[in-house]
Amino acid sequence: MQIVIPIKQVPDTSKVKLDPESGTIIRNPADAVMNPLDLYALETALRFKETYGGKITIVSMGPSSALRMLKEALAMGCDEAFLLSDKAFAGADTWATSYTLSTAIRQSLSYDLILTGERATDGDTGQVGPGIAAWLDIPIATYVARIVSFDGKRLEVARLIEEGYQRVSIPLPCVLTVVKEIAIPRLPTLKGILRARASEIPIRTKESFSFRPEYLGLKGSPTRVVKIDTPQITRHGKTVWVKNPEDLSKAAVEFLNFLQQRNLY
Amino acid sequence: MNRTQLQNILEQLRILLGPSGVWVDPEKLEAYSHDETEAKRYGHMPDAVVFPQTTDEVCRIVKLANQYRVPIVPRGAGSGLSGGAIPHQGGIVVSLERMNKLIELDTANMVAVVEAGMVTNDLARIVLEHGLFYAGYPMSLETCTIGGNIAENAGGGKAIKYGVTGRYILGIELVTPTGEAVWLGGKLSKDVTGYDLKSLVIGSEGTLGIVTKAIVKLIGLPTARADLLVLYKSPQDAIEVVPKILTHGVVPTSIEFMDRLSIQTSCRYLNETLPYENAGALLLIEVDGTNPEQVETDLITVGDLCETQGALEVYVAQDKNNMERIWNVRRNIAEAFKVYCPIQSLEDIVVPPSRIPELIPELETLSRQYGIQIPCYGHAGDGNLHATLVKEPSMDLETWKEVEDSCLRKLYTIVARMGGKISGEHGIGIKRKKYFQEIVNPVELELMKALKKAWDPNNIMNPGKVMDVY
Repeated sequence: MQIVIPIKQVPDTSKVKLDPESGTIIRNPADAVMNPLDLYALETALRFKETYGGKITIVSMGPSSALRMLKEALAMGCDEAFLLSDKAFAGADTWATSYTLSTAIRQSLSYDLILTGERATDGDTGQVGPGIAAWLDIPIATYVARIVSFDGKRLEVARLIEEGYQRVSIPLPCVLTVVKEIAIPRLPTLKGILRARASEIPIRTKESFSFRPEYLGLKGSPTRVVKIDTPQITRHGKTVWVKNPEDLSKAAVEFLNFLQQRNLY
Repeated sequence: MNRTQLQNILEQLRILLGPSGVWVDPEKLEAYSHDETEAKRYGHMPDAVVFPQTTDEVCRIVKLANQYRVPIVPRGAGSGLSGGAIPHQGGIVVSLERMNKLIELDTANMVAVVEAGMVTNDLARIVLEHGLFYAGYPMSLETCTIGGNIAENAGGGKAIKYGVTGRYILGIELVTPTGEAVWLGGKLSKDVTGYDLKSLVIGSEGTLGIVTKAIVKLIGLPTARADLLVLYKSPQDAIEVVPKILTHGVVPTSIEFMDRLSIQTSCRYLNETLPYENAGALLLIEVDGTNPEQVETDLITVGDLCETQGALEVYVAQDKNNMERIWNVRRNIAEAFKVYCPIQSLEDIVVPPSRIPELIPELETLSRQYGIQIPCYGHAGDGNLHATLVKEPSMDLETWKEVEDSCLRKLYTIVARMGGKISGEHGIGIKRKKYFQEIVNPVELELMKALKKAWDPNNIMNPGKVMDVY
């Protein structure tokens, strides 16, 4: 069983600062962490491997600071990792990102199962997992909450949907995007940390694979983030104090007017 | 004090503080009738709560209290664990919660001057923005105040490396029990000018005056930290490693011990799934520093030692989420036990760190002897353990009180034999007064009484706490 997990670095949500001018996130590489939702994909893969054997490969696209995150994944028990890092990849949208990741996966790895988190906590699109499935032309099940059974060729999974759970049977190779309830991520062990420390994580560039250059990075991205707005939260409430009971109806009228002026009543 | 006297002093307090500064409504007073000790057992309603906003107001309140001979009880956040802020003789609670401002952040001297009602966590957050760190840092960090920390000389989870509150208090403004304001200490690293009265006040549980302001020492912010969660087969195995870690070269910020019962109760309370199933006890060890690589090297050094000392498994938490996950389990043990069984005695014994391994089998013996559970957790690296006597649900209250009393006496005797004391960081208050007076050296007790009498001739400042003076 060959399992591949694309993971991503995101800003640590507890340290996020927004640029008040542009509304975009000020990214500080030191404060980047592994997308918390990717941990569930890692845990799912590790449990799968413990039951059925196999190998787990982690792949990420991003700056060299992502190497730290890849080592964390190795410390948890994943077998190998590589980083796609090149100026040409920068600024990619979900279309270009899934193209780049899927091309690297197709050209360098064999894969039975590709696992991803439900979405990344920064962009919140949830599109890269399905994008990879589309580029590789393999089936996908999204929002997977449980792996029900596996017979060596097909998986039966439970998808979390609005009405409850939907059971889906899906043949390998396939992509699964998993939700939080699938498994609680483990802590890495000291042995794992030491093993990860000793391992070399190769960096692959645009020359490492035969990419179509016009599909890469910002240039290859059909979509653009035009503007990000931060909603202004204002709480201009009104308190009407009443000292004497006889003033109560007057106060109610005052309050009603306030609501009507704001189209709230 | 009769009703008329009370009405008179309240009238004068209202003139001084305004109507919003004096509360007498029983519903509002209820919150000030207890701390984090068992409210039913130790709680007592105050006659009033007052909220001064300046040192001068505190002085005037104390002078009035002397004039009318009304007990006054200083109060921070009420998160104490020995009943120190409970008005157990009634009287007036002086809440410092409206004196919560940062007065000065003096980065040239690496100090902050704060009002005593400032929440410790707020101070930590403010100085953090300047790359600074306030290290006198107790565990109830979300609520407790600097003034309360000073009154108890609070400890907490980082004392091995950083020490306790007292180390970071360079100066205090004190309103004495007779109502005079005085600064003790200052923005000084060294000061042997006369008696060290500042240190005398720190940890005096509000019996020697009301601290209104403090000069706190700040240090450079440790920017990297990481935790180990180490599993051992038995509590004895885990605790025996503690003195070895302490003498191994790396100084961790914390070595926290949790027996299986403690971690299981907390995990169930939090719906958390740490891998403790096969372990009899766990150590939570934290290292910090300013260089991430050095922190990782230290972590590996300590982790290796734990493995060679028979650890079942050594887990590592280097990212914020995982660190928060395991500390959350540690921090919630006391709360979890309250849900499990609200009747208990949370103890705070402290022994020399090297004697810690001897303590665990003694606790197990006591547990068997009295037929009660004694979960044990705490700051093993400081020799400070929160052994907790938990009432069996089937036991009636009368029997429990006898069992508790007898078991505590034995426990305290064992601790004293090891060169330890009955409280490391929670204080004596009213909860441990009886035992303290029995076990303390009589000469020491007389010195304390003489001091209290000299400072507080009318015995109005938190009277009846720590010891009975008369």
